Amino acid sequence: MTFFHFFNCAALTFGPHAVYYKATPLSEYDTFSTCIKAAIVYIVTTLIKFVCFATFLQVSEHDGFDLSQEILKGLIGFLDVAGLYYALTQVSHRSISQNHKFQAVGLGWAFADAVLHRLAPLWVGAKGLEFTWEYLLQGLESNANLVFTVSLAALGSLMWLRKNKPAALVPFIYVSAGILAAMPSITSYLRKGLAWEFPRVVSFELSASLLMAFVTWRLFSACQRPAQ
Amino acid sequence: MRGAKRQQQVMGRALVALVTVVMSVVVVEAAAVLDVYRMIQYDLGGVPMGSRRAALSHHATSGFAVPGADLSRAVVILPALKVNISSLNEFVQNKGLLGGLLLLLPQRSNGSGGDGDDSDENVAKALAELEQWLVHNTFQYPVYFAYESDNVQNILQEITANDAAGRPATATTGGYKLVVSVSDAKKLPSPTLTNIQGWLPGLRPAGDTSMLPTIAIVASYDTFGAAPALAAGSDSNGSGVAMLLELARLFSRLYANPNTRGPFNLLFGLTSGGPYNYNGTYNWLRNFDQRLKESMVYALCLNSLGSSSDRMWMHVSKPPENAFIRKIFSEIENVAQDLDLTVEPRHKKINISNSRVAWEHEQFSRQRITAVTLSQLEEAPELLQRSGGIADRRKTVNETVVMRNIKVVAESLARHIYGQEGKQVEVFAKGSNLALSPAYVRSWLDLLGRTPRVAPFLGKNAPIITALHKELAQHTKDASLQHETLDSAYVFYDLTKAQLNVYQVASVTFDFIVALAVGSYLILLFIVLFISTKGVDDFIGVFRKPPSRKYKST
Repeated sequence: MTFFHFFNCAALTFGPHAVYYKATPLSEYDTFSTCIKAAIVYIVTTLIKFVCFATFLQVSEHDGFDLSQEILKGLIGFLDVAGLYYALTQVSHRSISQNHKFQAVGLGWAFADAVLHRLAPLWVGAKGLEFTWEYLLQGLESNANLVFTVSLAALGSLMWLRKNKPAALVPFIYVSAGILAAMPSITSYLRKGLAWEFPRVVSFELSASLLMAFVTWRLFSACQRPAQ
Repeated sequence: MRGAKRQQQVMGRALVALVTVVMSVVVVEAAAVLDVYRMIQYDLGGVPMGSRRAALSHHATSGFAVPGADLSRAVVILPALKVNISSLNEFVQNKGLLGGLLLLLPQRSNGSGGDGDDSDENVAKALAELEQWLVHNTFQYPVYFAYESDNVQNILQEITANDAAGRPATATTGGYKLVVSVSDAKKLPSPTLTNIQGWLPGLRPAGDTSMLPTIAIVASYDTFGAAPALAAGSDSNGSGVAMLLELARLFSRLYANPNTRGPFNLLFGLTSGGPYNYNGTYNWLRNFDQRLKESMVYALCLNSLGSSSDRMWMHVSKPPENAFIRKIFSEIENVAQDLDLTVEPRHKKINISNSRVAWEHEQFSRQRITAVTLSQLEEAPELLQRSGGIADRRKTVNETVVMRNIKVVAESLARHIYGQEGKQVEVFAKGSNLALSPAYVRSWLDLLGRTPRVAPFLGKNAPIITALHKELAQHTKDASLQHETLDSAYVFYDLTKAQLNVYQVASVTFDFIVALAVGSYLILLFIVLFISTKGVDDFIGVFRKPPSRKYKST
């Protein structure tokens, strides 16, 4: 990779977050501080998660899919959900509508995730001359992750912030939220257990993110109606 | 309270780790990393020879006739055995510019030749020819050698396929890029030649105070080749060195007991500077004191006695009709006949005005000391020829032949020392405690076969010099080193080994295309999000000019 390629991959990885912020009404209502607070909550949650990993998980020699370890990892992954809950409910935001709140929280969360997980490998790999597709695929992955996170934040706001929900939809909401929360475990199972290659995993993530976004949008708009 | 502090500590450490990772030196990933050996760079009498550059950073190509490739910015990768020397010579003579040259040597197998000796011989011949041509030419670009491996083969195949399909690797089309990041080579300051000698004194009869006659046994141990890091010279002159050490071992056993100590002193000399007109031998002889010179009866020089052959030549500068030369020759011939070895004398007159010294014995002859060279080479080698380069590998040395040659030299020497000419006497019989030791010879041949010994790069304290010194010290009374500076007509430059990184790079066009794609994706995303959240009218409104303020005041 050369610096040109670095800029390309960085634009693909972080660009959508900036575009999302600028294009939607988020920028008009000055929700920037919400995004920052969500990012901080994400960092703290990740640190707690890693401490739990270090404490409870064993280092496995082989690269295969160890069911018990992965279940444990999934359970610890639910800390993410707890973090989102904290960000959505406990942190005080300036008065912004619920719509924008979950979007801002999701955006800040996804941006922090992209920076922490993808910036360092991108920077370290940027100076080498060797070309790999990996960094472009990572960029696509961060796009999918943005959609996942915003959907999860939307469902989270439905679950915790909205009091009147049509009873029939409640299980759907929880199931979708569960699927979204378990996404990391699913992808690691695909990569290690079924030995899918990276491009295939990324395309699965992209399609799954679009699907879950659609489902979330339908659920969200279905819950809107009684309030109107 | 404690929980918050621990959290802070963990966060702090994580942050430090993150920063260190980001700032740390880059992990360089490459498709392959090879050990490469640089071609020698030297000046002969002020004329620059060899490869004059070391740093390399160009795209790889598979041949000289690839259409569309810019050779001055490309590294040509050639398997050494497929090189067409005449066409390459033409290219060089026409001052063709090249980014670099990478020659691939056949994989070195560990087994000693049993699989296809014919092909081994042809390989050795082809390599020797290539080496000779390389060493006598100047290249203004880096030339490197590397051993073939599966990795390299695959890469070369890909490059050849791409070139054949009309897609040579350049900056705009991407492909493989070869990078050797080193700084330019520097001159080696005053290279040293180190001569190692060992002295075995003979038995003086009681009351005799005069100096005993001395016989010298000499072999040069250094080499010269197209790649100094690969010039291990197994036959030239690893075989000579191994023979000398075995002779030293045998005669030290004989001389250990005063009853069997001969009436001759034995002087063993391992000289350096062989390829450079035996420069080291010249200095060594110059430093002899007069008494030693006068006591020298004759010197036996050993050179290249390891190849499979039933013939040996005794090269002399005195006419073979000379009585003493005839005596030495007949002693050797008598022993050789029993071992199915044909020995022939070969006369080459010395031309004092010509500085070229083709055989080691000529240096002795110029000092008026009788000397002969025993060798399985029939013709006198030219300058820097047959000096133990890449083509001279351990496989080409036949241990049985070396043992036989040692026996011939040892027995004839013993007959001369103990006055047993013409008698059928076997001093070093098998099974006796004076028997020859094949294991000893083999271990030295193996060591020499994997130690490159180009003198300017050895320095004073090279391990091989120390090892030879220690070995001679074990067998002789007085072992010493002598350091001399190499003749200033030869100047050498350092940097003999490097690491080659092979990168697979994408073309600039590819980067542009990706930039375009990412840019249009982001723009599309922006438009979609804008329209879906704020509506189409707002979007069109961005492009319309704002209504002018003039009319507001009315």
